[in-house]
Amino acid sequence: MFKVLRDLLRYNKEFLLGTILISIILALIAASFFSPYDENAIYVVAPDMPPSAEFWLGTTSRGQEVFWQIAASMHNTLFFGIIVAFVSRIIAIAVGLISGYIGGRTDQIIMAVNDTLGALPNIPILLLLVFVLRDQMTWFMLAITAALLGWTHDSRLIRSVALSLRHREFTRHAVFSGMRTRQILIREHLPYVMPIVFFTTMNNLIWAIGLEVTLSVLGFSDINRPTIGGMIYWANAHSAMVSGVWWWVAFPMLFVVILFLGLFMLAMSVNEYIDPRSRLARMGA
Amino acid sequence: MQNLMRTQPLTLAENAMDALTIDGLKCYYVNDYFGVRREIRAVDDISLTIRRNEIYGIAGESSSGKTSLIKTLAGAIRPPMRVVGGTVKFNFADGPINVYAEPSKMKAARWRHLSYIMQGSMNVLNPVRRVKHAFTDFASRHMNLDPDAFRARVEAHLARLHLDPHVLEAFPHQLSGGMRQRLTIALATVCEPEFIIADEPTTALDVLVQQDVLALIKEVQMRLQSSVIFVTHDMSVHAAITDRLAIMYAGRLAEEGPTQAIFDNPQHPYTVHLIGSLPRIGDVSTRKSLRGKPPALSDPPSGCRFHPRCPIAIDKCAREVPAMLPSATGGRVACFRAGEYQIQ
Repeated sequence: MFKVLRDLLRYNKEFLLGTILISIILALIAASFFSPYDENAIYVVAPDMPPSAEFWLGTTSRGQEVFWQIAASMHNTLFFGIIVAFVSRIIAIAVGLISGYIGGRTDQIIMAVNDTLGALPNIPILLLLVFVLRDQMTWFMLAITAALLGWTHDSRLIRSVALSLRHREFTRHAVFSGMRTRQILIREHLPYVMPIVFFTTMNNLIWAIGLEVTLSVLGFSDINRPTIGGMIYWANAHSAMVSGVWWWVAFPMLFVVILFLGLFMLAMSVNEYIDPRSRLARMGA
Repeated sequence: MQNLMRTQPLTLAENAMDALTIDGLKCYYVNDYFGVRREIRAVDDISLTIRRNEIYGIAGESSSGKTSLIKTLAGAIRPPMRVVGGTVKFNFADGPINVYAEPSKMKAARWRHLSYIMQGSMNVLNPVRRVKHAFTDFASRHMNLDPDAFRARVEAHLARLHLDPHVLEAFPHQLSGGMRQRLTIALATVCEPEFIIADEPTTALDVLVQQDVLALIKEVQMRLQSSVIFVTHDMSVHAAITDRLAIMYAGRLAEEGPTQAIFDNPQHPYTVHLIGSLPRIGDVSTRKSLRGKPPALSDPPSGCRFHPRCPIAIDKCAREVPAMLPSATGGRVACFRAGEYQIQ
């Protein structure tokens, strides 16, 4: 494992860059635990101060330090993404493996539901739910809703692999030896699809964070909880760009770009590592 | 006459020496699409008995129904394959099991009493898991041992089969084809089964490794005193290892008998051609081949299925199905003109 990581860092520039960018974000998140201020407190420092030695990234019009706000936001935003990715992975794995292995009528029904859900537009559904639920729409509810919308594509991907696993000799052997369906899926097939799960997790993370930022910028989430989108929402509410407080908008955007770029680089390099064909394509074969 | 044939294996079943009795077994691939029923008669009316402590070979060309037959008798069939008639009865040490009448008993007996080395068995090891997991997944449930004792048992078994216990920690791709094949045999025999079914276990191997694997199977069989069904299209392998041999043609048995007798004195015209096609050292004459090709099992010829290609066919062959009758050489043969044909 460590040897693989070392080789990836040495030979794969995307992986190196991705690791560096994600390390910045992780350092920021680690720092958020040592924040001198409560993340929700306002007017704790002088408002509208530009970046300086005292306030590294300046302060907001609400009297908060941008640096510590970004640290707390990154913490919350990434946590949101991880919950969405985790829950949706569980659904995608279960649906994909069961549908692919059992096949027949079960497969048809599950895939009909899968494709229907996949065809639904996500943002309008989330907006509708936000309007209906209003105050009950906590960030956790939002995460679960996003997770319920974000598994369809990956479950199809996993199903396509499970379809081929079903006819492999080791599956037939497992059936002959009397393993139960659940045991076959968990012990024989799950390890096989893990690389795909790993890769799609990162894509799903990017998608979930993008969704969260979109909804927050529009003010359709818990605006009192600091998130990247929430910061931009407050900056807009205080007309930060007009009044020249550019650092309030620019720095959150910079860090979300760093996060996206880092995750994307990692996903790409990991995909290349687990899929020899793309590695060959890059070598010009 | 037909009646006599039916009763013969049944009376033999009382004999404690019989490990497996198949009676009138029919297993078809049945497709039922849009009201049109298509049957592929892969196993059609096969009766045979296999004794304890013998290696029974099944030979035949591709698509003659060899694998379908042994899948059926192992109870490992899946739709669209369906047993249409007949019985399969194993006679294990702790009681007989009728495969299709007692599915739960059969399920418990698999691997413990009956193991199956499947076709393409080099790939039965999961490519993403270490070899030891295959042993725990497939075999440990049938042995009731705690993990340490199980591990010790597996290592002892591997050592007997001349395999280093370190292979348990390897992934399948780190092993050679021959090693994987030997591991598969180890996996199938670790529970010391009374009955082993081996489907083409040597097909993908070169002759040297083939020799190794054959010796290994023979060794295991001798030690466990078990019965083995050995399926392959390679006649030289049959000559090397089997005690009795059955020749299949188009889903039916053509001939069965002691291996030596089949090679020395084949009775069925198909067997005569099959044996005649084998190369002999020093003999440079061209081998005579049969005209035509094996029939499609979805629409087999009437009567004897071999009659359209048979050089000595008579009118009766097209009308009546020949029964398996005792032959002059101590086996059984399904031919109205058994023993009359010879290649010049």
